[in-house]
Amino acid sequence: MMAANNYFGFTHGGTQYGAATASAAYGGQTGYAVAPAATAATYGTQRAAATGYDTAYQAAAATQGNLHAAHAHAHAAAAAASAYDASKSAYYQQAAAAYPTAAPPQPQPAYDTTAKPAYSTPATYAQQYGQGGARGSGGAKPAYGSVYTATTAAASYPSQPYTAPAAQPAKQTANRGNSAYDTALYNAASMYVAQQKTGGGGGWKNYNKSGVGATPQRRPKPQPKAQQLHYCDVCRISCAGPQTYKEHLEGQKHKKKEAAVKVAAAGGAAGARACGASALRCELCDVTCTGADAYAAHVRGIKHQKVVKLHTMLGKPIPSTEPTKLTPAKKTVAGAPKVSFVASGGLSTVGASSSVPRPADKEDEKVEEEDEPEVQPVGQDYIEEIRGDDGKALSFNCKLCDCKFNDPNAKEMHMKGRRHRLQYKKKVQPDLEVKVKPSMHQRKLAEAKAQRMLVRDELWARRRMHEAGEDDERAYWEGADWWRGPHHHHHHQGMGMGYGPVGRRPETSDDRHVLAKHAEIYPPEQQLQEIQRAVSHTEKALKSLSDALADHARPKNQAGKAVIKTEDKKDDKPEGKEDGRDNQLFSFVGEGEAAPASGDGAGAGGAGGAPVGGPGVRALKGVMRVGLLAKGLLLRGDRDVRLVVLCHDRPTVTLLKRVANDLPHHLNKVKGPNEDAKYKVELQPAEGAVQVSDGTVNVVVSLTSAVMREPAEGGDIKRDDKDVLPRQKCLDALAALRHAKWFQARAASLQSCVIIIRIMRDLCRRIPNWTPLNPYAMELLVSGVMQSASGALSPGEALRRVMEALAGGLILEHGPGLRDPCEKELVDALGNMPAQKREDLTASAQQFLRQIAFRQINKVLDMEPLPKVKHASGGWKFPRKRRRSNTDADQDTHNGDGKVVKTEEKADVSEINSNAKK
Amino acid sequence: MVRGAGRGGRGIPGRGGMGRPPFSRPRVLMLRPPFDLILAEPAFPRCKPAPDDAALTQALLKRHAELCPTPTEQSAVLSIVTKLQTVLDNLVVAPGDFAACQLEEVRQVGSYKKGTMMAGKNVADIVVIMKTLPTKEAVEGLSNKVNEELNKLMRAEGLGNVSSTCHERGFTVTAATAAVRVLVTTLHQNLRKLEPEVHLDYKVISSHLAAIRHSRWFEENAHHSSIKVLIRLLRDMCARHSGLEPLTPWMIDLLAHHCIMNNPARQALPINVAFRRSLSLLAGGLFLPGCAGLPDPCEAAHSRAHTALDLAAQDHAAATAQTLLRVVARGGHRYVLGLQAFEGGKDISTEITVWDGVVVSPLAPAYHDSPEPMDTEDKDDDGIQDGVAA
Repeated sequence: MMAANNYFGFTHGGTQYGAATASAAYGGQTGYAVAPAATAATYGTQRAAATGYDTAYQAAAATQGNLHAAHAHAHAAAAAASAYDASKSAYYQQAAAAYPTAAPPQPQPAYDTTAKPAYSTPATYAQQYGQGGARGSGGAKPAYGSVYTATTAAASYPSQPYTAPAAQPAKQTANRGNSAYDTALYNAASMYVAQQKTGGGGGWKNYNKSGVGATPQRRPKPQPKAQQLHYCDVCRISCAGPQTYKEHLEGQKHKKKEAAVKVAAAGGAAGARACGASALRCELCDVTCTGADAYAAHVRGIKHQKVVKLHTMLGKPIPSTEPTKLTPAKKTVAGAPKVSFVASGGLSTVGASSSVPRPADKEDEKVEEEDEPEVQPVGQDYIEEIRGDDGKALSFNCKLCDCKFNDPNAKEMHMKGRRHRLQYKKKVQPDLEVKVKPSMHQRKLAEAKAQRMLVRDELWARRRMHEAGEDDERAYWEGADWWRGPHHHHHHQGMGMGYGPVGRRPETSDDRHVLAKHAEIYPPEQQLQEIQRAVSHTEKALKSLSDALADHARPKNQAGKAVIKTEDKKDDKPEGKEDGRDNQLFSFVGEGEAAPASGDGAGAGGAGGAPVGGPGVRALKGVMRVGLLAKGLLLRGDRDVRLVVLCHDRPTVTLLKRVANDLPHHLNKVKGPNEDAKYKVELQPAEGAVQVSDGTVNVVVSLTSAVMREPAEGGDIKRDDKDVLPRQKCLDALAALRHAKWFQARAASLQSCVIIIRIMRDLCRRIPNWTPLNPYAMELLVSGVMQSASGALSPGEALRRVMEALAGGLILEHGPGLRDPCEKELVDALGNMPAQKREDLTASAQQFLRQIAFRQINKVLDMEPLPKVKHASGGWKFPRKRRRSNTDADQDTHNGDGKVVKTEEKADVSEINSNAKK
Repeated sequence: MVRGAGRGGRGIPGRGGMGRPPFSRPRVLMLRPPFDLILAEPAFPRCKPAPDDAALTQALLKRHAELCPTPTEQSAVLSIVTKLQTVLDNLVVAPGDFAACQLEEVRQVGSYKKGTMMAGKNVADIVVIMKTLPTKEAVEGLSNKVNEELNKLMRAEGLGNVSSTCHERGFTVTAATAAVRVLVTTLHQNLRKLEPEVHLDYKVISSHLAAIRHSRWFEENAHHSSIKVLIRLLRDMCARHSGLEPLTPWMIDLLAHHCIMNNPARQALPINVAFRRSLSLLAGGLFLPGCAGLPDPCEAAHSRAHTALDLAAQDHAAATAQTLLRVVARGGHRYVLGLQAFEGGKDISTEITVWDGVVVSPLAPAYHDSPEPMDTEDKDDDGIQDGVAA
């Protein structure tokens, strides 16, 4: 404020101006500088302003040349200075608005129309002027603020300023002021103006602290040495002569600066001015410093000194070294009720009178003065001192900003500096407040970025929606045919079990391995047909035999309750089943004779024991497939299948012999004439069975009876009966029957269960440690494991889960054991397994489990690792979370050691790629 | 759709050529939980008399008594923790001229907080959340300040001095008989501002934040004393067998909680059953790749507790547990629990042992860190190991 006072010292003492006209003129010009801005001031005082202007104009007209005009103005101002106190600030404003047009060299046609009517008394003007000057030094800051906003407001709300003031001449003058300014710059005299303008531009901000009507102290000024000194006010340089000066004025540098200044004056200054309230400004050099320290450094600096020298030489007012505080421009709403501004910028060329803007309203003067507290240095801890040998600090190193200083002062300044604070905020204290320099460029960038993000988000959202749909569809198709490929061959004549509905889970590598292994161990079509044929023939022959026995027995058994007609049975045949290929009991009992037991001759509905209580008189009641055949667990190379024939009474050796004797005959009978299979029937009394063999397939037919289970019934006598077949064998056959039924009812329906049991059978066949696991126990185990899973398991998961169960000690001593569901009592299906076997089996399963977990399921299955399938999705769909052990692993290494496949795979890849490009 | 159809063949991606970035769509593949006999009981009803586990139970309780810290130890830890908490609380409330950092919150975590401290390990943990970023200088400043203040307190009570040493996790205040690790972390929103060379390591910082979540979870869910007993036993067991060493306390907490509480009845299981179950689960691949493992309740959805272990460690841990399971099944629990040293302190999980004529042998590792990355690669790609892949 003091600076301002000094700067515009002339405003106070009018008498002094009388003595030193030139200096007064200069001073006046400084005051002037603000004139263009001031023109933007209120219209409320227009009349008064016009009067003020009037005098100014007259004075200007009276003098010749711009310089003189300026002097005159100053003079007039000085003369009238005493009156200024009484004048209203508003007057002053208007006067300022008028001034630019007063410049004689500028043709201002509009000027007359606007200003003339107002011309009245010079006294008024003087008053105005004085007032203006005083205000300029005193309370101009608010004015500046309002000017600034007005201009910007004009830009953004063009309609606002123009509506109300349309009738007001001041506006026009103001507008013209701009053009006046332009031309003025080329005028020789305009150097003053220019100086005013720039100086004033800065000067406005000086006034913030001064109260209204503060009385500034004038500082005595030295006499100007040479009026002819060519001083460019915009660039603050002096030129040696008119020629150079002119050249300078036409030069790029000057024009640039000038343009910048113009923009600043016109309100574009906002950007630069809006910086932090803590910014300090050197009026003289028009330099903005970010802090007190920087300012101090600037004042000490050579550049500043030079300007000071020059200004001293020119006799220009030198503001005190007290820095000007910059406050952000005050925002006013355009079109505010009382105050309306007109775009300013018109620099009066000559207008010697007050040009410092003054707000019309008091309220405008009350600009909040946020005194930014002095910034506290931060991050002392992060500055390390580098000491010399003598322990004296040689230099400082800021670890946060990675910079060095030699000077403690520099260090201090650095610690207060914005860059350091930013670093501190970034690295130490995130909530530290750092003033951010709003840069137009940055803001634009940010806006552009936000815009881009918006566009991208939208794009993504759209694409996601699109893809969700696509994905569903794809999953649907994949889900639909997931099992189709590897499984079609399972549906073979009832040998394979049905599979439940499958989920949409992707096929894993484990699944593929298991399925591949399964395909490998699955019996070939031909083998299945051979077995099927042999079994079918045996079953038919047994039925035929049974019929023959029944026919034979009927004469003996006169008590036959049911009339049996073989013819009937033959008629039944086409309707009923021909053999036991549905893996159910193939009852020999005809429809008529079995009526009480089951209405259906096919016997599918009848449970194994159903015919027992029936009136059947047949010795052989029915036959059923058991074991592997019934369960569909045949593997490649399996040749032995089992049939169990249920007898009405205890099967005896006699009966067995009879069967063995008669069967070949019946076999030949049932076998088609063109089938050349030669069946050999072998009696195995110890097993309680006959074996039918056609060279490749062995069908063991065991005879048993449900009656064998009831030892209480005079068991002792019967057991002694030498004729009866071995009891244990019969019981085993019965158990086999039950197991087959259990399997069909419980295990076969579980997802993946049959596949895994086949795999496990293969495992038990291959690996000695697993051999002790009897097939039935294994089936129980696997089905239990499947059953306990919460949902359907894919083959790979199922195998792993079986291994998990075994590895977790399921079959170790403290485990629960495998309860046999086919026995009434609690029987452990694995009860007889020795401890060492359990131990070995568990250890083996544990090893297998870890091999499965670590992608070596092929070792468990004893097969070559399969090449990696190219996923239906790109690799990027599964971002890796685990660090890869080998970063350059690409498709080639994905294949594991399938070296042969490598080239194929590559071809595939390229094909896919080319497809993708299409 | 059209694109997919045009290509034909299900192995060919429907959108392979689109070059879509990988983060567009979350893709969740739920992994299977392992076979758990306790949960699978309906499928495997017991058909033989339950084994007499009295010996095992006795051994477990005996060992636990040995592992519990003595009252003297407890009071020593309590004393220093209380003082340190006071000092730190003061710094939170009234930092005064202390400017090295600003503290947001101070929390006790870890085994001390959970009540699972082991005898002979008198180290409590306290997490300090800084409002400012945790630079090494800040940690040092805090360490010095705490040391100074704490010594004042100690002197006032006529106790011995404490010393404080900085390390990469924060600093440790050591008194005569107990120590407190002060683990430094920062606010959650500051995490992404961390820079490796200026601040403490990101992983360390976030693990300290996780520690807070862990102790909170523990307080709410795992206060049953059976769990604490099992935790002590398991931690001791893991410490003594090289393969199980990599298991973190947090994994053990989760495992113990799972073994005790996660059963159909939702009642705490007896300690012997739970102990067998924990070994059985570990042996059954709970912590192997491709298994759902134990979901981490303190992390985002689908994260599994055991993924902190690397693959070799997972394999080794599973193999060790598998051997130990068989040893325990043969009645070797005294060795496993550490009640009896095995042949001069050898690790029983790596030795061939004979029990009543039954030979129990250790297992070979399955994981090979081979140049062919088939193990990991495949898993990554089709297993989508970590639940959310995207």
